[in-house]
Amino acid sequence: MLIIENLTMIYPDGTVALRDVSFEVADGEFLGIIGLSGSGKSTLLRCINRLIEPTEGKIIWNGKDITKLNQQDLLATRREIGMIFQHFNLVKRSSVLTNVLSGRLGYTPSSWSLINRFSRADIERAHKALERMGIPEKASNRADELSGGQQQRVGIARALMQEPKIILADEPVASLDPVLAHSILGSLEKLNQEDGITVMCSLHFLDLVQRYSTRVIGLRDGRVVFQGTKDDVKKITDERFKEIYGEDAKRLGGE
Amino acid sequence: MNNKISNENRQSPLHTFLSLILPGLGQMLAKQWQRGLTILIGVGLMGSLSIWTIGQRARYPNFALSFKIFAISVLEMGALLIFLMSLNYLLNKYIIKDKTAQAFSGYGVGLLYFILIFLLSGPVLELAGTVAELKTVYLTTTIFSAGALAAFWIWQAFDAGKIGALKAGEAMPSLGFAVLVLCLLIFSLGYQITEIDLNKAISEYTDTQIILTRLTWPWRSAFAFEQDVLEVAQKIQAPCPAGSVGPDANLPMDGETWISLDNTCGELTTRDLQGKVTFGTEITIFGGGFTPGQKVEIWWRNPIGNPFKPRGVGETDIIMDERGEFETKLYIPEMTVIATAVGDQIHTILVREKSEERFTGALSDEMKLALKGMLETIMLGLMATFFGIILAFPLSFLAARNLMASIVQTLAKMVGGVIGLVVGVGLTGVTMTQIIKLFGGLDKAPIPILMIAILLLFGISWLFMSLGGRLFEYLSKLLGKNGDTILSVIGMTLIGVAPGYLLGLGFSRGIRGIPLKAELAAETEMTFAIGGAILFGILGFYYALRQGGSRNINVGMIAYTTTRTIMNIIRSIEPLIWGLVAVIWIGPGPFAGFIALTLHTVAALGKLYSESIESIDPGPIEALQATGANRLQTIVFAVVPQILPPFISFTIYRWDINVRMSTVIGLVGGGGIGFILIQWIRLFQYDNAGLAVWLIAITVATLDYISSNIRKRFV
Ligand SMILES: Nc1ncnc2c1ncn2[C@@H]1O[C@H](COP(=O)(O)OP(=O)(O)O)[C@@H](O)[C@H]1O
Ligand SMILES: [Mg+2]
Repeated sequence: MLIIENLTMIYPDGTVALRDVSFEVADGEFLGIIGLSGSGKSTLLRCINRLIEPTEGKIIWNGKDITKLNQQDLLATRREIGMIFQHFNLVKRSSVLTNVLSGRLGYTPSSWSLINRFSRADIERAHKALERMGIPEKASNRADELSGGQQQRVGIARALMQEPKIILADEPVASLDPVLAHSILGSLEKLNQEDGITVMCSLHFLDLVQRYSTRVIGLRDGRVVFQGTKDDVKKITDERFKEIYGEDAKRLGGE
Repeated sequence: MNNKISNENRQSPLHTFLSLILPGLGQMLAKQWQRGLTILIGVGLMGSLSIWTIGQRARYPNFALSFKIFAISVLEMGALLIFLMSLNYLLNKYIIKDKTAQAFSGYGVGLLYFILIFLLSGPVLELAGTVAELKTVYLTTTIFSAGALAAFWIWQAFDAGKIGALKAGEAMPSLGFAVLVLCLLIFSLGYQITEIDLNKAISEYTDTQIILTRLTWPWRSAFAFEQDVLEVAQKIQAPCPAGSVGPDANLPMDGETWISLDNTCGELTTRDLQGKVTFGTEITIFGGGFTPGQKVEIWWRNPIGNPFKPRGVGETDIIMDERGEFETKLYIPEMTVIATAVGDQIHTILVREKSEERFTGALSDEMKLALKGMLETIMLGLMATFFGIILAFPLSFLAARNLMASIVQTLAKMVGGVIGLVVGVGLTGVTMTQIIKLFGGLDKAPIPILMIAILLLFGISWLFMSLGGRLFEYLSKLLGKNGDTILSVIGMTLIGVAPGYLLGLGFSRGIRGIPLKAELAAETEMTFAIGGAILFGILGFYYALRQGGSRNINVGMIAYTTTRTIMNIIRSIEPLIWGLVAVIWIGPGPFAGFIALTLHTVAALGKLYSESIESIDPGPIEALQATGANRLQTIVFAVVPQILPPFISFTIYRWDINVRMSTVIGLVGGGGIGFILIQWIRLFQYDNAGLAVWLIAITVATLDYISSNIRKRFV
């Protein structure tokens, strides 16, 4: 259970990226986040695992306020929160296996990782994760030798190594073509349904949101301007979505 | 546009005239104060600099004369320019109508200008009453400095005229021409001050040729040659006090080599303070049994036992006749007689016959020395690079903005850390004195003690720093709501007091001590120290109170700025200068060179490294932070793989530079081949110097080739 309460984020340069955002995410949800570019989607997701320090507000994850955690507890909590990125964020020169294993660092003693050692169990786990993502044969390739879709699979495998309870996905398919987008989102959906991992995923395309989300929130100018359940999403026509988007666009242009 | 053209031709005679008398005056009259003053100061500066340069160049620093030459030159050039400008103007107005031809007439007049300068130089020089050697100086000065200054003078007069005739709202005349002329003037002064003299470069080349051949092809001296030397001696007494008869003269010996003298007692050649030489006794040296037709050398060994070849007292290279005998005359040479010498002063005359040199293929001692120096140099570069890497690597992370910017700490925790750090360093000091006592003195085992000191320093400081931070965090929780601030205020006051005390003391000793007498400054220095302590204490107090203890301080950026600043300072000082410092510190030798190069390498590599860290893809860092990896793990897995290729590339590049630098670091005493090279040059041993230069060139070229090849694989 993730509860966001009155979250505000102001960047050092004064940009207000989130204004008083509040919503809840139930366990097992596939929450779609929509909004124009610059509406604060990435900022919101990064506040949740405190890659960015929020200015104000609470983020209550299974009863504890993430914003109040000290460094050590924060690291421990981050292990429960997987994250995948638009540009995959793999270490390009490292092998696929190393990239996947690095998802396990939160569980590895510092001294071990200094000399690049992982336990046999972890290596086993990494191979399993790759197998699950359908690319077991790529383990020893360099990450930058893989296609975009494969790289994103490595990204998901890395997140899986954390044994996450929730996955934050920041436009995970924005740099992939539509066919690959469906296959990646399909994988996320499978993790969501089979493993019960909660997913928060910002998406650009309406059809993808409609197809995969169980619930949607819409952001504009750092504010939540739309909330709907899976049923609302199904009911909502393209026109209604366009209304939300279009209205935003118009207002942005007019202001 | 039209307006502008007409404005260019309009002149206010009064302004022009005033500026012609005193540069800038016309402009000032037109209320263009800045322009006028700049012109006046500019002319004054350029003029005095030119005059000073003439004196320097003529090696004749006579101000009046230099001034006279320059003033006449400027007047002459000014008159010439005005004459030529009028000529050009008239030509264009009445005779040459074609536009292209008009442009060329300008060039023609310019050419005429140079011709006239040469023609006029003779008479004017006589007019100036100058010495003949000033002639070349006069010519360069006239053509460049005086010409440019005269042109500038005329320009600014016209400029004043234009400004004086300016109507409201019109644009100021352009400065383009003035800038051009000033550039010419500065160029000409630079040319003269650096004593660029192409004449000399050519005329003195022939003298250099012999040396140059020895330098460029020195390979004969790379090998050792064998030679037999036959030496026979005859003793002689000098000076010859009354009653002395001198040692016995040798008798001719059949079948053996021998020399003898007609007289074995005589007086030394002397030289008085004015350098006038009074020859001593003339002796006849004769001998036999040498190889017929062979050249022998006469040497002299003084009573102390030092042999030398007598100079200026007669022929010392003698050719044997067909029977292998010779006879030659020589004055007893001049030498310093040791004042404390007692008794008869017995010298020895030596006649040496040397056989032909035989090539053996063995290397000469010089070559061996040069090779050893070269090896030393390569190793020096290698070691400096090695230690440079080890030190620069961790530093470069501190100097990478993208890594450091995100490290923040509450003021309270930072204060705790700083106090902990100070305590830690202090404790290290105390512990180290005990440990040194245990060893029985620093010089008993400097290396182990140093190692322990470094380990302790890092270990204890780190431990106390984090303990201090934790303690303050804990205390502030105990104290409740304002705990952070209370602790920070106390801590910052303490932190302010110590540097304040030192700064006050430093101010008193370093700055007040300059004009004051040392004792006087020392008497009152405590006032300053305590004053400084109080001042900085209050500043710290105030700062902490204003910021509040829970305020986040960007500790990372503090570390970043400090590291960057130190590295920039070290890097901006050339290794050669570090070399000088190191030589003073530990004496000449490769170790001094090592220290100099290492210092510079750390700073240079630190910068290169940290810049390559700053340019990495931040994505993986973010991704790993998100997995719950700690800072160290993030660096090892997300940063290091990305920076490895540029690091390797930069390191090899630096090694390349270091080997090149280490060849010259020896020039200031830093060991290696440079050290040997500079000594050979000073001893005029050009063949040996040539050897060293060759070895340097070969080594550097080889390493260059190798390193660029290795680098190619990583870039
Ligand atoms: N590091 C930053 N510093 C300052 N402003 C930022 C920074 N990152 C994002 N912003 C601003 O915050 C707002 C939200 O950005 P972002 O969260 O990236 O939006 P989205 O992911 O929806 O495109 C934008 O106006 C953006 O310009
Ligand atoms: Mg974004």
